[in-house]
Amino acid sequence: MKNVKVLIGNYGSGKSELALNFAIQAAARGEKTELIDLDMVNTYFRLTERGKMVEQKEIRLVSPNFACSGIETLSLPAEIASAFVLDWDSVIFDVGGDDVGATALGRYHQDFIDLEPGSLEVLNVINIRRPLASTVEKILRLQEGMQAHARLQITGMINNTNLATMTSAEELRAGYELLKEVSDMTGIPVAYTTGKKEFLDAFLAENPDPKYVGKPIAIDMYMHRDWDSYIQYGLNTTDPRKEMY
Amino acid sequence: MALTLMKGSEAIAEAAIRAGARYFFGYPITPQTEIPEYMSARMPEIGGCFLQAESEVAAINMVYGAAGTGARVITSSSSPGVSLKQEGISYCAGAKVPAVIINVMRGGPGLGNIQASQGDYFQGVKGGGNGDYHLLTFAPSSVQEAIDLMMVAYDKAEKYRIPVLFLADGIIAQMMEPVELPEMVDYKVDPEKKPWACTGWKPGDDPEKRGIINSIYIDTESLAVHNDALQAMYKEVVANEQQWEEYNCENAEYIITAFGTVARIAKSAITELKAKGINVGLLRPITVWPFPYDAVKKVATQASVKAVLDVELNEGQMLEDVKLAINGAKDVDFFGHCGSQMPTTDEIVNKILSMKEGK
Repeated sequence: MKNVKVLIGNYGSGKSELALNFAIQAAARGEKTELIDLDMVNTYFRLTERGKMVEQKEIRLVSPNFACSGIETLSLPAEIASAFVLDWDSVIFDVGGDDVGATALGRYHQDFIDLEPGSLEVLNVINIRRPLASTVEKILRLQEGMQAHARLQITGMINNTNLATMTSAEELRAGYELLKEVSDMTGIPVAYTTGKKEFLDAFLAENPDPKYVGKPIAIDMYMHRDWDSYIQYGLNTTDPRKEMY
Repeated sequence: MALTLMKGSEAIAEAAIRAGARYFFGYPITPQTEIPEYMSARMPEIGGCFLQAESEVAAINMVYGAAGTGARVITSSSSPGVSLKQEGISYCAGAKVPAVIINVMRGGPGLGNIQASQGDYFQGVKGGGNGDYHLLTFAPSSVQEAIDLMMVAYDKAEKYRIPVLFLADGIIAQMMEPVELPEMVDYKVDPEKKPWACTGWKPGDDPEKRGIINSIYIDTESLAVHNDALQAMYKEVVANEQQWEEYNCENAEYIITAFGTVARIAKSAITELKAKGINVGLLRPITVWPFPYDAVKKVATQASVKAVLDVELNEGQMLEDVKLAINGAKDVDFFGHCGSQMPTTDEIVNKILSMKEGK
């Protein structure tokens, strides 16, 4: 059966990084995989920037018209229909941030309804280190808005709590504690916990309740940029925070 | 230490609020629309004012008026929008109205494109509007640095009565980094500290205490007196407010000069060059006005330095100030891109290697 993962969530929760990881892992298992860049909001740091790498791994990539160009009038390409009509093993939608980004899904409402029961996962990617997803109330507010705009019910949450280059196992632990509360209140399960292998292993070694961990998936960093390495040197030579990096 | 992961735009907006800004006037434009978006949600929460003006021209004139009352005011835009604001910026400078203006630079000239650029260096530091004026101009290189500079921006602006400009390339506004946010500053207008502010003078009040915000001086003598006072203030800013970062400069064979995001890429290149046995330093101006001429001169004219490479995301604008600082004492080469393509670590490494080979 076709598996369709729709990744929605707050800006900066890590949807593109996860979409790349899910697609690359599916393709590595030999699955016929399609990756859809459905971010109609952001013009910077988008999945399509890694398009060459994705295609080298024999993943079909569909991007909005004019993605990664110098204009901001993105439009939905007709090829998105291929996600529903062609015979894929795995399809991953990387959707724009917040309720605004989730709006683009509304257009495919009927297509999602027509999918074989059990094949669709609508996943709310959560990073509680982002200011607008840092409390239970904020997560609930975002969730409500995204569901209304997407015209889809969220089937699971992903704990992808991270601080970019300064992540530790502590981030996953903090995310776990908060999502436990959200899950108990909403009945929406934590479907996955994702992070770099070292942090994920350290977190799992503490024996968290599997009910609130879901399936742990180790991820690699593909969205790294040339200037990221700067952080290891600190902000300036006299900055006391330098020790932290 | 509580760290949070923030987009540059959000961080700039939140930092301004924590520094006491309670009035935002602006107009959306990529790649900084997240600033007004954030302000529109955040200002009502803290009893502040978010106003989307009908244009950039209107927005900067609202800044002029609101800041004239002594309030802490901010506007943000991107390159073509900042061009529209130039008349108002010159008025703010002329009337000595302290305010903070954000320019998240995108490709130009004209409408250019929406990708990152550093093409407004000239506009920011060499004028832009009319008349003999300067803006205290910060060029942050990370999201945290943008926050830290914002926390001092209003104090500096008010101390000298000078508008402060943030010259941030699109990457700084769009990238996300872990940051630490400072505590909220409790700011209230104090008419004793800001005797120039228009805080509600009524007929019958002390005429000496009447605030007048003005940039017109009809007779030649009073305009000359006004300009002399402005120039004296700029001299003080030049003497006291230069900020820069030196990285690996001691006994360096080559010195790279760069600002903003490009300086970070230069640092990655310096690490790679070190592995190849080439010692390269970086001088990064944090204030681009006042430009750290003496600091550039000092590191660039060390006996060990063979040449200087200026790297920018434009066709060579800060290059002119680097050359002025070095004044012919060393060769100055340039590497840059326009069209909003970020220079890469490899490109900088290869440029230094070709300089070493004498090409």
